[in-house]
Amino acid sequence: MSDQIEEKLKNYRTAPFDARFPNTNQTRNCFQNYLDFHRCNKALSAKDQDTAPCQWYQRVYKSLCPISWVQKWDDQLEAGNFPGKI
Amino acid sequence: MPSMLQTVGKQLRNHPALIPLFIFIGGGATMSVLYLGRLALKNPDVSWDRKNNPEPWNKLEPTQQYKLFAINMDYSKLKKDRPDF
Repeated sequence: MSDQIEEKLKNYRTAPFDARFPNTNQTRNCFQNYLDFHRCNKALSAKDQDTAPCQWYQRVYKSLCPISWVQKWDDQLEAGNFPGKI
Repeated sequence: MPSMLQTVGKQLRNHPALIPLFIFIGGGATMSVLYLGRLALKNPDVSWDRKNNPEPWNKLEPTQQYKLFAINMDYSKLKKDRPDF
């Protein structure tokens, strides 16, 4: 499983088609991947596993999200008032 | 309400050419209501119960198609490529 992930991370070009978000508005896709990255980190580090597979979500949200959004959410996470559930 | 129906019935008997009008208007109204119902109940962006169903779009399979017409997109060839956690 993990070498599949390494393979996918090495061959990464852009965010793949996600059947959950088939329409033009990809806002939720961006936010969901941001949430999934942080949830993945939290879940895998709670189980004491390597968080390397979570990099997939980070690559996807960096491809999709405007930089200003990512900066705003990172600031909110540090300040502790991020609105999403992680 | 029943007198309105009687009036309409009388008008239809006197002018039977109005019947296709009712068929088409009725069909259009039915289709609108059905589509709104599908949006309300089946749309993965809609969550009526946020406590028990917080992110309904996550319940879609990677090969499941929600759109009515998906042109140029072969859903059967998609695979799940997100890592589990």
